[in-house]
Amino acid sequence: MSGKFKSPHDIPTIPGTEGWERMYPYNYQFSKEDPERGKYEDEQLWFYDGLHYPEPHYPFDLIWDEAWYLALSQNNTRTFLMPPANGIDHRVVNGYVYITPVGVADPEEIGERVPVFMKRAGYYYENWDSLYAEWKVKVNKLLSDLEAVSFKPLPEVEDESVVFENKGTGSGYHLLTEYDELINMGLTIWQYHFEFLNLGYAAYLTFINTANSIFPDIPISTLTKMVSGIDVVLYRPDAELIRLAKLAIEENLADEILIERDATEMMAALEKSSAGKYWLDELEKSRYPWFWVSTGTGWYHHHKSWNDDLNIPFSSIRMHIDAINAGKEVGRPTEKLLAESEKIVEEYMALIDNDEDRVAFEQALGMAKKVFPYVEDHCFYVENWFHSVFWNKMRQVADILVSAGFIKDREEIWLMKRGEIKEALWDYVTAWATGVKSLGPSYWGKELEWRKGVIAKFQEWTPPPALGTPPDVVTEPFSIMLWGVTTGTLKNWLKGMEAAVGAPSDELMGSPGSSGLVEGKARVIKTVEGLADLKEGEILVATTTSPSWAPAFTKIAGCITDVGGAMCHAAIVCREYGLPTVVGTGNGTSVIKTGDTIRIDGDQGSVVIVERA
Amino acid sequence: MEAAQVKFFMMEDEFQNSQGMAMSEKENSLSFWYEELEGSDFPLVGKKNANLGEMRKAGIPISPGFALTLKANDIFIRETGILDELGKYINSLGEVSVEKCQAASDFTLDLINDATVPQVLVDEICSQYGKLCDLAGVPNLRVAVRSSGAVSMPGQMETYLNIMGEKDLVDYVKKTWASAYHVEAITYRMNKDMGFLLNIGVGVPKMVNSRVSGVIFTLNPLNGDRSKISVDVSYGLGEAVVSGLVTPDNYLLDKVTLDVISSTKGAKEIQCVYNEGGSDIKEVAVCEEDRNRFCLQRDELVELCKVSKTIDRYYGKPYDIEFGIDRDLSFPSNIIILQVRPESVWSKKEAQAKTEKKKDAMDRIVGQLITGVRFK
Repeated sequence: MSGKFKSPHDIPTIPGTEGWERMYPYNYQFSKEDPERGKYEDEQLWFYDGLHYPEPHYPFDLIWDEAWYLALSQNNTRTFLMPPANGIDHRVVNGYVYITPVGVADPEEIGERVPVFMKRAGYYYENWDSLYAEWKVKVNKLLSDLEAVSFKPLPEVEDESVVFENKGTGSGYHLLTEYDELINMGLTIWQYHFEFLNLGYAAYLTFINTANSIFPDIPISTLTKMVSGIDVVLYRPDAELIRLAKLAIEENLADEILIERDATEMMAALEKSSAGKYWLDELEKSRYPWFWVSTGTGWYHHHKSWNDDLNIPFSSIRMHIDAINAGKEVGRPTEKLLAESEKIVEEYMALIDNDEDRVAFEQALGMAKKVFPYVEDHCFYVENWFHSVFWNKMRQVADILVSAGFIKDREEIWLMKRGEIKEALWDYVTAWATGVKSLGPSYWGKELEWRKGVIAKFQEWTPPPALGTPPDVVTEPFSIMLWGVTTGTLKNWLKGMEAAVGAPSDELMGSPGSSGLVEGKARVIKTVEGLADLKEGEILVATTTSPSWAPAFTKIAGCITDVGGAMCHAAIVCREYGLPTVVGTGNGTSVIKTGDTIRIDGDQGSVVIVERA
Repeated sequence: MEAAQVKFFMMEDEFQNSQGMAMSEKENSLSFWYEELEGSDFPLVGKKNANLGEMRKAGIPISPGFALTLKANDIFIRETGILDELGKYINSLGEVSVEKCQAASDFTLDLINDATVPQVLVDEICSQYGKLCDLAGVPNLRVAVRSSGAVSMPGQMETYLNIMGEKDLVDYVKKTWASAYHVEAITYRMNKDMGFLLNIGVGVPKMVNSRVSGVIFTLNPLNGDRSKISVDVSYGLGEAVVSGLVTPDNYLLDKVTLDVISSTKGAKEIQCVYNEGGSDIKEVAVCEEDRNRFCLQRDELVELCKVSKTIDRYYGKPYDIEFGIDRDLSFPSNIIILQVRPESVWSKKEAQAKTEKKKDAMDRIVGQLITGVRFK
């Protein structure tokens, strides 16, 4: 490919943020200190992981990035020996995470890895269903362990039980180990996250390419329809809201619930009637675990779950009640989807004109269908349920630091690295143990104030989509599947860099997410709270969407996201609702303004701003 | 050419038998709309008309119109006395050779030319034509007048295009009936051992007034992939696309889901249109604005491809389809299939596996991982 992105070593530091590097692990820095590593960095293609991270990272939040850096990479490189692919390397630039897939260049080495991979991956593929069942048991156990974790401020005097039950260990020590425990659980859930995922994607990719050999250019969206499950966990939270909306109508509570007011006030009002009490009981049943669904991707501490802010699910329940009252279909049309999926498979099978291809197609499809429930569902358990509970546990730790005077506000804790929090806890417990004053309050105050300013400057910065040297072809399966990075995308990004010098463009390119053409008014929404502003028939322009945005999809006429490939949430949901969608435009939310008239072509992956507001 | 001889049989009962005159209400009708017909009705209206009815029944939209029955032709030759006249004349000829065909043709054509179409037929034709004009919302609608024999006689009889108004229509129907007695048609029948007399059906479809037109393959013509539909389309009459006078817009669709996979805007510099009041075609330039946009509406594209899929399924193989989008009719009835024929290039090739043989799914996954993924 001709053209080159900026060298990762040439990205200037934003004035006023000098020293930002200490907010992140030292190994996340691009550095020419070691010339060999510097050369490697220059020759790789680094792309900004906007799919997971539309915002710069708070130091603590990088925990998930480190967790998957390790888990994904080790699985490819050391555990299963994915023949052509090693891990995915990570860096941070001005608070934004860049990643690069690392291939295995030597064909001989690839060959040597094959038998090991066959044996190991083969075991998983053969026993997929039973291993996945065991996985759920493991993960549920970990989730209940996580729920059990709790942090309390240290007592003035230890309880008698420490003595009379001859425990031998004290509260200070427990605070430190409990914190370690919490962090370790977080790392463990990510080990589990990747136990199946790489293999799942490999099977899915095989299906995509087998189908492509028989039917050149078959859209990925069509293939997804063939394998997509019906009983998908990710849709369960929205299904619960629909259940509650219907129940509200049946119990004549709809008018009560449609009154816009704070959730606490609403629940107090419902508490007054027996029907209301019954409904609230049902609400409680839905809340655990389904309301742990995140309103974002779950990757950031500020991605609240529905349980953290019941106003969000209440507002969605109101949308559903309105839709049901208006006679609209709500939720996933599962029977229709199932019938459609079967029909598509049947029609495609009928188009194959020889036995060999028929066998190949069936083999690949069978495997893809086997792995797909995991591929679709794992992120509810990990990114939504686990993360949402985890953030709250960390807030308990933060409360201790607040009461110890280390930080002014519990939300300041995210400005600290997880290792620094451990150090601060040491400071706190040793001072408590000794009966002296800790250094923390005077040490952290200034530093965190400065870090807040740095993050604010990072937020104003627009990270370039890619750095370094683009390869001639993109072959790494995960980059293609998840991030939508293909040779074509890279070309567009290169083009975009040139265009950025001139006037703002009225035309954007992304990837086709869901078929169709639509023109309408744009509504740029960056967080789930913004959904309340959404009007019927508008085109949703978002950085990326999460399952908790589902109620919005009955209202909109189309959708555009900054990041994501054909497999991202927005694309999957929009295909189900038949809404034209373009994903991965790079900068849709900054180029398009609410009220602009835009035209999107979900088949071409193009967006045109027809008229500025 | 071999000097074939044929007995010009003319006995009236013999003629009746050959035409099958068992009476029923349907068989007494003078005309049918295409949608009232099916393939097995060919003895009543001729093969072309019956096939058009069959296509409509199968969900393939053809230009709207009606078919005059063989019975109408029969009434014409009886009530005008042509049948009697011919009876005497043919009997006087006896056994005839090819050379005598010309005289027989001239004699018959003169008779038909001098005859006046009986009022009952004029009423029928004009009433049906009136309904067709109403349907299109155009007075004096342009129609085609097409011969339709009950047995296949490809190209032996006439088709007239761009006929307007009641008077001309009746005249051209008569001309079409007469075309069964052109010397070539008579000779053809002689060679096939058929009779001299021949009643034929006449089809009167609306002339397709194409705003855009083009060609569809129900496979990808570039690689033979049967899961695709390829559409070439440009402004005006089909000639521009068929004869390659313009670079048309092109679409590639997924045949199963009808999702558009790619679309390429063509230059579409010119379009073919009918000359004012005439049936010849002229080329005119397409304005800049029209050239710079896709010429098909999205719903038209989808509907067209649904129809193409229907055709592909109906015949059970990939097809090559000519279509027009009529400017006088409203969506979706403006979508009109002009001609269909089996795709001839890829369909003849032997099926070939496009995937490698692997012992199981696992083996396939490994193969995939090693090969990597190359995206265009």
